[in-house]
Amino acid sequence: MAEEKTLKEILKKIQFSDNAQVMKQLVDQSIQVKVRMGHIRRKIVVMSGKGGVGKSTTTANLALAFARAGHKVGVLDVDLNGPCIPKMLGVSGAFEIRPDGAIPPIGPYGIKVASMDFFLTEKNTPVRWKGAMELSPIWLGMFEMNVIREFLADILWGDLDYLIADLPPGASADKPPVIAGFLPELDGAIVVSTPSEVAKIVVRKSIVYARDIGIRMLGLVENMSGALCPSCQAPVPLFTEGGEGGATPAGCEDIARDLDLPLLGKIPFDVQIARACDRGIPLPLSHPTTALFDGMVTQIECSLNKKGAFVS
Amino acid sequence: MKFVCMKCESFMAFQKVENPAEQSLGVSFACPTCGAKVAMVTNAGETAMVQALGVKIGGRDTAAAPMELIRENLKEADGVLPPAIQATTQQEMLKEEMAKVAPAAGQTLPAGSCPFSSMVAKMGIAAPAGAQALEWTKEAKERIEKVPSFMRPMIEMGVENYARKNGITTISPEVMDASKNDMGEIVWSKAAESRLDNIPSFIRPMARKEIERIAKEKGMTEITDALMEETKSKFIGMGY
Repeated sequence: MAEEKTLKEILKKIQFSDNAQVMKQLVDQSIQVKVRMGHIRRKIVVMSGKGGVGKSTTTANLALAFARAGHKVGVLDVDLNGPCIPKMLGVSGAFEIRPDGAIPPIGPYGIKVASMDFFLTEKNTPVRWKGAMELSPIWLGMFEMNVIREFLADILWGDLDYLIADLPPGASADKPPVIAGFLPELDGAIVVSTPSEVAKIVVRKSIVYARDIGIRMLGLVENMSGALCPSCQAPVPLFTEGGEGGATPAGCEDIARDLDLPLLGKIPFDVQIARACDRGIPLPLSHPTTALFDGMVTQIECSLNKKGAFVS
Repeated sequence: MKFVCMKCESFMAFQKVENPAEQSLGVSFACPTCGAKVAMVTNAGETAMVQALGVKIGGRDTAAAPMELIRENLKEADGVLPPAIQATTQQEMLKEEMAKVAPAAGQTLPAGSCPFSSMVAKMGIAAPAGAQALEWTKEAKERIEKVPSFMRPMIEMGVENYARKNGITTISPEVMDASKNDMGEIVWSKAAESRLDNIPSFIRPMARKEIERIAKEKGMTEITDALMEETKSKFIGMGY
């Protein structure tokens, strides 16, 4: 007891100087992120609690829509272990490393893309870390946090109008708070869901969690809203609700209503969309889904600029 | 973490960092007053934590290179192919189930059969077999062309089903309006439609839905010019 008191009294008297310079480096890292992000007008994330709902498809097509509208756009593929944005946008290559930063590869409409995929030499190569990470993967989360920091701080994004980050799947855990922590000026999140009840249950939780940590919800995108039968072209809902006798097409209106966020659009399941993403060739301008994404961009811009929008 | 010299009541100063063993850091401190020394030795986990922070203990002589953390720590592909996927019990069961629903060898599905036909029939949106072909007027065709393509087949079928049910052989815009009432849908007056046309085309479908939602909330079955005026404030700036 006496020793504790003595230690307390000692600590009150003495001053600490960070000559190991750990704190200084951590502060410098944060400053570098802020300086780099200061050149970007709007930062948006695309997220979902559920995997496989179409976050990356939505991110890629939103980026194209913003670029078509005349904006300078960057896309950050935060899904470190499953990067697919380069494939969807038809971008290949590598970062060009310079002393002042890394120049990212450029995609259609001048979209700048950052992704772990550019570091992987072959298509079967997974993301694996060497050294201490191999022995102690419990620190992997912190390591990946700093990988994201490097993407934000070390890439020569230049002056952008929009930086769109494609988050990996997960209702909560790490990535949303990591991004929110690095980007206190984060403008908001777009949430993606399918009409499946299973997906909606998880997506609801992710929306509540994101709001809890201070991320503004800009809207909800309903993906895989329906499909056209390849044989007779009849429209068929992929998800239904209700019993055997009275099944009706399911939708995400309930999430939008219950959690008070705009339903930005309903994207049908279309073979052409899937093919476009697989081939990395944007949908034609005449395709109806192109117009849907253009409409979403208008709504998002209205919401960000507070000009009034389709807020139910 | 900080070290305190209890004898001199001062923080110990950082001296150096070294690698005394694999996956281990040795960080040395000394008291600036009495010279007492202490070394902290990290285990693999603690070393990983320091590495994960992307910092160098003791500071840097030069700034970190761009993307240094990723480039120094990403493991290169070792050229080893992933193991071949072994058949599992689940995969064998799936094969059996698929064999049950697929046609036997040498047989084909009936011509025109639709994989979704049973679901479509349940929902009552399929045209009955052998149904009489209906004629669409030029005005009706122009109107249906305005519907988004992925919704068009559903709307067409609904209108045609209504026409057949009522013995109508030619589909006009009036028949289309009547079929909406039959399905409990809302009708748009000509004046309201004309105002809707002022909204940019890529927003129009969403605007239509929103106005219809408002009308339903108010218990209205027809969208009038007056309602459009009332809801105008939502779409100001869009040419409406």
